[in-house]
Amino acid sequence: MRKVRLGLAQISSRLGNVRENAKQHAAVIKKANAEGVDFTCFPELSLPGYLLKDLAYEVVDECKAALNALARQTGEGQRVMCGFVKQDSLGLIQNSAAIMGDGKLIGTISKFFLPTYGLFEELRYFVPANPKTDLVAFESKSCKFGVIVCEDAWHPEPVQALARLGAEIVFCLASSPARGISNSEHAGALPIESQWMALLRAHALMNNVFIAFVNRVGPEDDEFFWGGSTLVSPAGEIQAKAKKDEVDCVTADVDLDEVKRARRFSSFKDYRAEFHEVLRDL
Amino acid sequence: MIQGLEEIVPPELEVNTTRVTAYLARRLRLYIGEHAGRRRAIVGLSGGVDSAVVAHLSTKAVGPENTHLYLLPSSSTPHDDIVDAKAVVEMLGIPEENCREVTVDKLTKELASSIGKAQDRLIVANIKARVRMILLHGFAGSLSGLVVGTGDKSEITIGYFTKFGDGGADLFPIGDLYKSQVRQVAAEVGLPKRVYSKPPSPALWEDQSAESELGIDYPTLDRILYRRFDLWWDEESIAADLRIRLSKVERILEQVRKTQHKRYPPEVFKLSFRSHGSDWRYPREWG
Repeated sequence: MRKVRLGLAQISSRLGNVRENAKQHAAVIKKANAEGVDFTCFPELSLPGYLLKDLAYEVVDECKAALNALARQTGEGQRVMCGFVKQDSLGLIQNSAAIMGDGKLIGTISKFFLPTYGLFEELRYFVPANPKTDLVAFESKSCKFGVIVCEDAWHPEPVQALARLGAEIVFCLASSPARGISNSEHAGALPIESQWMALLRAHALMNNVFIAFVNRVGPEDDEFFWGGSTLVSPAGEIQAKAKKDEVDCVTADVDLDEVKRARRFSSFKDYRAEFHEVLRDL
Repeated sequence: MIQGLEEIVPPELEVNTTRVTAYLARRLRLYIGEHAGRRRAIVGLSGGVDSAVVAHLSTKAVGPENTHLYLLPSSSTPHDDIVDAKAVVEMLGIPEENCREVTVDKLTKELASSIGKAQDRLIVANIKARVRMILLHGFAGSLSGLVVGTGDKSEITIGYFTKFGDGGADLFPIGDLYKSQVRQVAAEVGLPKRVYSKPPSPALWEDQSAESELGIDYPTLDRILYRRFDLWWDEESIAADLRIRLSKVERILEQVRKTQHKRYPPEVFKLSFRSHGSDWRYPREWG
């Protein structure tokens, strides 16, 4: 049995206020240290907030400074993921996740699929990550793990690739806004929540991985992020769920051997590149 | 749905009242308290359905003790509206000291006379709406509150409001609910039946009726707007589906286009490289 403790840090960031948001992160990391949480994940763009518009350019330096300070607070063996705006080359900014641990910044990964419709305008600001150069599975003392950002979960390839790179857990940092609240046809879950749950369970089942979805909660301008962060097992079972519409940080203990067992009793190993060759030409 | 509502709430517009009211009350509480750093909701209560629902939401958001309701009647306000407004005040448990009635006739008349248009019904009506706006913002300023607007999605979409009058609020919590949906919510949260079943009217002049003025009943208006803007239908398909004349649909959509200016801040002509307008792409909530 390989037991690890996962933390889903469903926080409400203040748009454009990196300093205040970093304090929230620091408080969660401190608590995670005290409670022996191995992996702590925050939502997409958790340091600067999501609907940044032109602020996306202006939060870069503050994000960098905050990340360095937060990384120093991470414990030995601990892994912490949070969202930030990254700039490696002047004028090229990315919607990214930082992976911190052992008191330092371990790495980053950026979003591959940038939604640009309705309220989403990410391609206006951000440069997408390149799968050929940027896709990476990170390591911890207990396992390999992957990190994706929100829209990357609406496509099959990122989770599939990370699982085949050896990831046993995939963390999905998300900022999913509520939609269809007034719709009477959906008396229980919001349509967007049902869709996310279907996606997460499908990824977990098809790739035999734990999926930890960590969604932002709270308002940003006219939008409202619904939270509902969820941990799904390789068997597609929901193992932990944070509250909807409220700040909530939940932890769950999982047995990583579930991944091993699932991959020995499924068609995980099968991949047919021919399908992507066909897709490329369509 | 409550019996009898079928006539005023088209089935495709039916809302989940429990979820909608919980969500809007939460948003209102966060906006007033955390975003704006204020404490109180300031609402102009007319006796109609929109302001009654907004008053209800305000009590859920900040409590009756922080909800301040203002009856701002004029000579054109039907007596029944005042009676209905007072019934709403009582039903919501608003403390007596949080309610005030101010007649706007004198201020309206003075302003209309000063521009020489005291007999122009439309100009007087707009002045009246703006007098109310000024009073509400004055009360809000003195009470550390926000003016919680009462415009609904139907009125906002067709521009059926006075620019800088009832359009001059700090926020519009029911601005994404069509009139039919506001009526359903009003019924299901237990507001008086008279409030949600009577014909809507801004009551800016005597015997004014919104549906007569617009030339269409609200359920049909809402069904047109829903099909055009929520479902992206074309005009011909809407007319065919609702079995109404195409010209009726066209007239409503023309009104939407003509009133677009009312839904935007005033135009700024660009001179620099980055002006307030399409270039000013900062979020409303900024830090």
